[in-house]
Amino acid sequence: MSNYKKTYVTLSSIVVFMFFFSYMLVPLYDIFCEITGLNGKTNQERIVDLNEKPTNRFVTIKFTSTVAGAGPFDFEPLEREMVVEVGKVYTTSYILTNQSNSLKQVTASPSVVPGAEAEYFKKIECFCFTQQEINGLETKELPLQFIIDDKLSSDTNTLILSYTMFNTTDQLGAK
Amino acid sequence: MSTNVQDIHEDHHHTPSGLMRWITTTNHKDIGSLYLWFSLLMFFVGGFMALIIRAELFEPGLQLVVPGFFNQMTTMHALIMIFGAVMPAFVGLANWQIPIMIGAPDMALPRLNNWSFWILPFAFTMLLSTLFFDSGGPAAGWTLYPPLSLQGGNSMPFVILSIHLLGISSILGAINVIATILNMRAPGMTLMKMPIFIWTWLITAFLLIAAMPVLAGAITMLLTDRFFGTSFFTASGGGDPVMFQHIFWFFGHPEVYILILPAFGIVSTIIPAFSRKKLFGYDSMVYATASIALLSFIVWAHHMFTVGMPLAGEIFFMLTTMLIAVPTGIKVFNWVATMWRGSMTFETPMLFALAFIILFTIGGFSGLMLAMTPADFQYHDTYFVVAHFHYVLVPGAVFAIIAAVYYWLPKWTGKMYSESLGKLHFWLTTIFVNLTFFPMHFVGLAGMPRRIPDYPVQFADFNAIASVGAFGFGLSQLLFIYILYNTLKRDVTAEDKVWDGAEGLEWTLSSPPPYHSFEKAPRVE
Amino acid sequence: MKRIIYLLALVLPSQILADWQVNMPRGVTPTSEIAYDIHMLMFWVTVVIGVLVFGAMIYSIIYHRKSVGHQPAKFHESTKVEIIWTVIPFLILVACAIPATKALIMMEDTSDAGITLKVTGYQWMWEYEYLEDGVNFFSKIDNKSNNARRLNSGKDVNNVENYLRNVDNEVVLPTDTKVRLLLTASDVIHAWWVPELGGKKDAIPGYVNELWINIKKPGVYRGACAELCGKDHGFMPIVVRAVPKLEYEKWVSLKKDNRVAESQNIGR
Ligand code: HEM
Ligand SMILES: [Cu+2]
Ligand SMILES: [Cu+2]
Repeated sequence: MSNYKKTYVTLSSIVVFMFFFSYMLVPLYDIFCEITGLNGKTNQERIVDLNEKPTNRFVTIKFTSTVAGAGPFDFEPLEREMVVEVGKVYTTSYILTNQSNSLKQVTASPSVVPGAEAEYFKKIECFCFTQQEINGLETKELPLQFIIDDKLSSDTNTLILSYTMFNTTDQLGAK
Repeated sequence: MSTNVQDIHEDHHHTPSGLMRWITTTNHKDIGSLYLWFSLLMFFVGGFMALIIRAELFEPGLQLVVPGFFNQMTTMHALIMIFGAVMPAFVGLANWQIPIMIGAPDMALPRLNNWSFWILPFAFTMLLSTLFFDSGGPAAGWTLYPPLSLQGGNSMPFVILSIHLLGISSILGAINVIATILNMRAPGMTLMKMPIFIWTWLITAFLLIAAMPVLAGAITMLLTDRFFGTSFFTASGGGDPVMFQHIFWFFGHPEVYILILPAFGIVSTIIPAFSRKKLFGYDSMVYATASIALLSFIVWAHHMFTVGMPLAGEIFFMLTTMLIAVPTGIKVFNWVATMWRGSMTFETPMLFALAFIILFTIGGFSGLMLAMTPADFQYHDTYFVVAHFHYVLVPGAVFAIIAAVYYWLPKWTGKMYSESLGKLHFWLTTIFVNLTFFPMHFVGLAGMPRRIPDYPVQFADFNAIASVGAFGFGLSQLLFIYILYNTLKRDVTAEDKVWDGAEGLEWTLSSPPPYHSFEKAPRVE
Repeated sequence: MKRIIYLLALVLPSQILADWQVNMPRGVTPTSEIAYDIHMLMFWVTVVIGVLVFGAMIYSIIYHRKSVGHQPAKFHESTKVEIIWTVIPFLILVACAIPATKALIMMEDTSDAGITLKVTGYQWMWEYEYLEDGVNFFSKIDNKSNNARRLNSGKDVNNVENYLRNVDNEVVLPTDTKVRLLLTASDVIHAWWVPELGGKKDAIPGYVNELWINIKKPGVYRGACAELCGKDHGFMPIVVRAVPKLEYEKWVSLKKDNRVAESQNIGR
């Protein structure tokens, strides 16, 4: 009998382990993304120990935007393109207009191309860190402060930053 | 051991009759038959859906169904065929064959066995009932990719619940198989003396208990994303839809091997029997199966080369996928070497097994082509992929199942099927299967995406051929039903050792075998 | 048998096969050409292996059968043979992996692009935005196809020109220019694919993917969405018109002039 018991216990623990393993894949995946820049995920943390190290190397940053779903928004970068010095802090912003009459909650999700260089696009201040609220028919300027890390690979001379604006109002209501 | 044997005996003494016999049965042969009949039913249900799909695709333009319903058909067809037809058929074969091939009286866990089967009818009733919901059944494909699957109507929680049930059923079945094989073999039957079918099922069962819980995790996350405010897969909450694909295929690729390893076991049993020669390279067959199983956990992302992986990831998954072709190749070479200088006869099971080797290998070839990432950027999500997986699944897995049924049916029933009808069934099936799936390579390469209800007119000719083939294939399977019916009705008894070249303990039992297969364990030299 | 047909089909002149296209198009970009080359390499590798394996099998079926009185041999293992058929396929695969890896490295190198075209997938149309030139517009299936495709439309789709392969607004791109495509989506995952311009790439909501093309030959190239995106997934074609650079610049300035009008007409 003990032989059987051992079999059942081992097998059931594999099953239970694999179920939790599927959940463990979530943080593992995030680590994997951060290392490899999969999907151009940027660091979602604010840079704190900031030290400017101007390098006299210049790269072009292009800004673009997408509105997700049927969001009643107009969402555009203030500047479409900037030439920036690697290692210096810059500020720009996006303009968001709520075209509906009611208060909306929104979240922006950033993505950098090329993905492998995403981690060197460091954000000091970003509207994407938190949920935002915007009143009906309001226009808001959403600030972004960033620095390009000097570890940026030397073949790269253009980075593209894209934000997708999600309307999260209904989601919150429904839950 | 003692308790188990007692369980079995208890049942024996008050076996109910009629319907109750089937509902309460804990006998491995009864349960095996239930699985096989159920699988046959699902094969026809899923096949009916396939015919709706092929009828719509017979010519360009929409003639029969609206696109939304078409998508429900492709989704349901795949779910039913994978979880309802192929997997239960293999579990049915395991139930029938494992005890009589290893010299055991029954499966290790007879009651659990009963539950694992009876979960299925409920799960599939629930799954199919979603088609009658106002918002329709699932329509995001069997791969359930979010965000599309999160858009689905009210059917989604029911679909997920039924997939959970199917998963539980498979896991219970797998635990039973492993427990039986590890603990109940006849004295003298060491692991490396086990019939090869038993080996492939043992490895499949381990794949099942490792892979199915991951699927359960993935669909649970979908459910909580939709209803409980998590955002595993939605970018608005910091999640990532691509992560679902990684988790899904971490299950999904092992799953495709779950669908083929038992088929390898069947073919490795039938080819030697009709070649009258021992299986060539038994040991390397076992090692090849085991290495396919292990490799299957590190190739998953070959299903998602187009999601935009880092270069290193693409190279890694391309190389591991190519590597899996090596053990697969070894298997094919071993089968050919088994036939080489044998003394072959071509009864129906052998015919299906031979067709399996050729047609499965064609599917393997297209698999190898798909593994090449630069070319897969073109192939991916086209009919070329549809052709690939149908070659490995239909003339692959399904042919092996049909071969197994013809091979063991005389043992199970004590009656011999009609060889001439069997051969007719074989030729019709083989011709139509190629007519259906081969042209799909062409339209896929020429640029026809998969999962579309209508197509540009340039693809019309090959699609018409495929549709004709599909109806021919479907109708030919009615002949199979007739053959089964005819076998049970006719009066041709089968000998105990049905095939002169066959080896194994099952042939030492009477045909049909006694209710408790081996009351006294046989000794294996 | 089927293989033979396949082979014949490849050998026959392509005109005869106008409507019977059986192979991947070689296409007009470096990436489509290399995908084609790898495809053909693998095709011939599998044909050769297939001829050998199936040949041995058929030989055996003909000569080693009981009905011709063949007696079964007794052998059932040979380490030497098994090592051979493990190592040789392995080496063949290594030989195939080398060009494939090189091709991949080339395909993933998006640097030094001349222009950037952002493509956004919607249920069920595409939006194109030329980042440098500030042109943007939506592109969806043309009305003729769209009317004919409906269930019981009463129209014979065979009479619709470019049925399901035509759009209201074509993408115009310059030839001999490295174009970097940025792919994203607004709702669900889509995939942008024009076979003759090379492989496809997924457009994923919330994230941006890259793909580059460099069209060598002016012409009109047609494709479609290649990732299931809901009920009208089959009805979101793509049309790219490739023109020489000068003509492209003319098109851009024309578009810019009409920009205000355009954005009003083609709203969603
Ligand atoms: C030599 C062995 C094999 C190789 C190298 C291989 C490779 C591949 C690759 C690369 C894909 C993804 C294609 C794409 O979507 O772009 C694929 C798809 C698929 N394969 Fe295989 N494969 C092999 C054997 C098998 C077997 C044995 C089965 C099952 C019995 C199988 C079932 C499938 C299925 C079901 C899909 C499509 C899944 C979906 O997208 O819905 N394959 N295969
Ligand atoms: Cu796979
Ligand atoms: Cu689509």
